[in-house]
Amino acid sequence: MKRKKKSKRWIAGMCAAVMTTGVLAGCGGESGEATPEAAAGDAGSSAPFRITLATAQVGDVPAADNEVEKAIESYTNTQLDIQWIPSAAYDEKVNVMVAADEMPMMLRVKYVPTTISSIQSDLFWEVGPLLGDYKNLSALNKQYYENISVDGKIYGIPQFRDIARSAVIYREDWLKKLGMKPPVTVDEWYNVLKAMTLNDPDGNGKNDTYGMVLGKKYNEGVSAMTTRMAVALGAPNKWAVDSAGKFTPEFVTPEFNEILKLFRKLFAEKLINQDFAAFEDADAEKMYDSGRVGIRIAVAQNAKSMQDRLSKTVPEGIYDVMPPTGPKGVRAAGESGNNGFFVFPKSKVKNEAELKKLLAFADKMLDEPMATLQLRGVEGKHYTKVDGGKTEFKDFSAFQREVKPYRDSLFNVEGFNVAPLKDTPLGEKGTKIPPENLKTAVLNPALNLTSATYSERGKELEQMMYDAQTKYIMGKIDDAGLLAEIEKWRKAGGDQVAKEYEAAYAKLKK
Amino acid sequence: MIQDRTFGNRLFDTVNAAVLILVALCTVLPFVYVLAVSFTDPHEVAKGGMILFPTKFSLAAYEYIFSTDTLVKSLGVSIYVTVVGTFINLLFTSLLAYPLAKPHFRGRQVILLGVLFTMLFSGGMIPSYFVVKELGMTNTLWSLMIPSAISAFNLIVLRNFFQQIPDGLEDSAKIDGCSDLDILFRIVLPLSLPAMATFGLFYAVAHWNTFFSAILYINDHNKWPVQVLLREIVILAQSRIGETSFEESLIQPLTIRMAVIVFATVPILLVYPFLQKHFAKGVLLGSVKG
Repeated sequence: MKRKKKSKRWIAGMCAAVMTTGVLAGCGGESGEATPEAAAGDAGSSAPFRITLATAQVGDVPAADNEVEKAIESYTNTQLDIQWIPSAAYDEKVNVMVAADEMPMMLRVKYVPTTISSIQSDLFWEVGPLLGDYKNLSALNKQYYENISVDGKIYGIPQFRDIARSAVIYREDWLKKLGMKPPVTVDEWYNVLKAMTLNDPDGNGKNDTYGMVLGKKYNEGVSAMTTRMAVALGAPNKWAVDSAGKFTPEFVTPEFNEILKLFRKLFAEKLINQDFAAFEDADAEKMYDSGRVGIRIAVAQNAKSMQDRLSKTVPEGIYDVMPPTGPKGVRAAGESGNNGFFVFPKSKVKNEAELKKLLAFADKMLDEPMATLQLRGVEGKHYTKVDGGKTEFKDFSAFQREVKPYRDSLFNVEGFNVAPLKDTPLGEKGTKIPPENLKTAVLNPALNLTSATYSERGKELEQMMYDAQTKYIMGKIDDAGLLAEIEKWRKAGGDQVAKEYEAAYAKLKK
Repeated sequence: MIQDRTFGNRLFDTVNAAVLILVALCTVLPFVYVLAVSFTDPHEVAKGGMILFPTKFSLAAYEYIFSTDTLVKSLGVSIYVTVVGTFINLLFTSLLAYPLAKPHFRGRQVILLGVLFTMLFSGGMIPSYFVVKELGMTNTLWSLMIPSAISAFNLIVLRNFFQQIPDGLEDSAKIDGCSDLDILFRIVLPLSLPAMATFGLFYAVAHWNTFFSAILYINDHNKWPVQVLLREIVILAQSRIGETSFEESLIQPLTIRMAVIVFATVPILLVYPFLQKHFAKGVLLGSVKG
C-alpha cells in the first residue's frame, strides 16, 4: 500500500516535469529561430543597418539595450546584435562556428594557425585595398595591419592594442632606502635584485622579500618576461633576421643567454622564488600586492592599478615605472598590437557594398564621440570634463561594468580622438610610455610570416625550449646541456621553421 | 596472544582513524577556506590576514555577485537542466536497459554492441555539433539534455542490476495481466529505487557541471548554466598576470571568486543528504545480494 502511494506521487512529479519541459522548450525554440541572419540594409538609407558580430566576453554580459549600446547604435545608424562568447572556450567555439558556417557578419578571431588557414582557403573578404577610403582606419599606424596580414594581404580590422607596452615597474621607496638606481645593465639587475632580497628593504627585520618572483609562465608567449627583459638588454624579439634574410631564434643569441645566466645565478643563490617552475601567476600577483616583491616586468599601464592594490596593504609603498631600458637605451619588445581582429565571412557578408558598410561602422567607432564613449563612458555618469581639456573618471567601477565590454571588443585606441585622462602622475606616466616605446620598439620579424611546420608543431617546439630554459635556470643542466637541447630543437623542426620563415620573408620583401 | 591481537587491533584502529581524519581534513578544509574567504573583507584577504576563519566578516562579495541578476538567472538554468535532464536520463536509460536485460529480447546483443561502440569511439566535437544543429537544438536547453540522455556506462551497470531481479516476479505479474511497460514502471522500477537514486545522482552531478557543451551549443547568454559563469570569472582572474589580452583586466578579487564557487557548489551539495540513504542501500544491494 505504502509503495503504491509513493509511486503515484512519483508519477505526479514526472507529469509536472514533463509539462514544464514543454513550456520551457516552447520558449527555447522561439528564440532559437532568431539565429543571426544578415538582414539587407537597403530598405532605405535611413533604416539602421543590422550588424551581427561575435566577440569574447569581458566581465558580465551587458543587457541587450543598455545606454552604451544604444548610443553606439544611434551614432552609427546600426542595429547591433552582439554574441558574447566566454573566453574559457573561445577558440573551440570559433572553430565550430567556422566549420558549421554559422558565423556572424563580423567574427573576432586570433592570429593563430587555424585562422590563417581559414583565411588562406578564402573564407573571408580582403579589406586591405579598401582601407584607404576611411579616414580613421587609414590614419592609424600601418604596423597594426601588417601584424595581422596573411601572405602580405590584410583581411581584418584589429581590436587595437598598444604595440610596445612593456615596462619595468619597481618599488621606488625600496630603491631609495637601498641607495640604488633602477637597473639598466645585467650587473645592475643582479645587484638590485640581490639587495632587495637580502637587505630587508621593507625594514621589518625579517628576510621575507624578493627582488623578483617568477610565475610558471615566465618564458611563455608574447608577454614572456624573459623576452621583454632580454630585448631591453639588447636581444632580438623572439626571432632575429639579418641583412641576408636569415632567421635565428632568440635563445641562441648571447644577450638572451645573459638573462638565462642571470636567473640561473639568482636561483642558485636563492634570490628568486625556488618554486617558480610551478608557481601560479595569481600567487605571484598576490606577493606583489602585499608588498613583498620589488621589481616586475609588466605592462606600463598596470603601474597604477598595482599601486592601488599595494596602497591597501602597504600604505607607504610607492611604485614607479620606467620604459624597458638597457645599455643601448629604451628597447621595448613589440607585440601584435591587437587583441584579435574582426574578419568578414564571405558567406554572411553578401557583397562589397555590405562590406563597406561594416568598414564604415568600424571607422565611425574611431570618431571622437565614439572613441570617448568607449574609452571614458557617458559624460556625467562615468566621467567628467576637467580643466585643460582633460577628462577624469567619475565612477570607475561603473565604467568597468558597463563600458569596458565595449571598449575591449570594438575599435578604439587610447590617445586617438579622445581627450587625455587626468590621472595620478603614475597613471599618466604609464599611459605615456607605450607611444614613446613604439619609436624604438624591437619588432618580431616572424610575427606575420607563416610556417607550415609552426602551424603543425609550433606549440610542441616552443614547449621544448621552455622546459629546457627552466631546467637550465634550476641548474639541472649546464651550458652544454642547454646547447644539446637547442640542437634537439633544431632537429625536431626548429630549423625547418626558420627556413620556412626565411622563404616567407623573402617572398614578402620581393 | 589475545592481548597481542587487541593491541594490534587498537593500533590499527588508531592509525586508521588518524589517516581517515587526515583524508577528511584534506577534502573539507579547502571548502572551509573557500567559504571563509567569501565571507571576509577583501582587504583583509589581500593582506593575508585570515587563514581559516573570517577575521573581518563582510558580505561585499555576495553583494557584488547579486548586484546583477546574471548569476541568479544562470542558477535557474542549471537547476532546470539538472532536474529535467536527470529525469530524461533515468527514463531513457531504464527504458533501454530493461529490454537489454531480458534474454528473450531478440537482437539485444547487436544493440549492446552498438552501445559499447560509443564507449570506445566518438564522433568528435564538430560532427556532434552538426548533429545537434541539424536536429534544431542549438541555442536551446535541449542541446544540454538530449545528446547526453543515455550514458553507456550507466546503462550497462543498470542492465546488470535489472538482470538480478528474479524472473519469477515478472512471470507472476504477467499472469496477473501486466503488460511489459506495466512491469517496468510498477514492479521493476520501484524495486530499483536505490539504483535509480544512485544513477540519478551521477547524472544530476554531470548536468550540474555542464560547461563545454553549453558554450558550444548555446549562444544566448541568458541560457548559460552557472558553471560557464564560474569558469569565466575564475579564468579571467587567473589570466591577469599574462596580460595578453587586457591592459588592466577587470579585477576579480579572490573573495568574489570564492563567493561564486560557493554559489555554484552549494545547491548540488544540498542534494546529497537526501539521496544518502538510497545511496548507501544501493551500494549494499550490490555487495550482499545472495
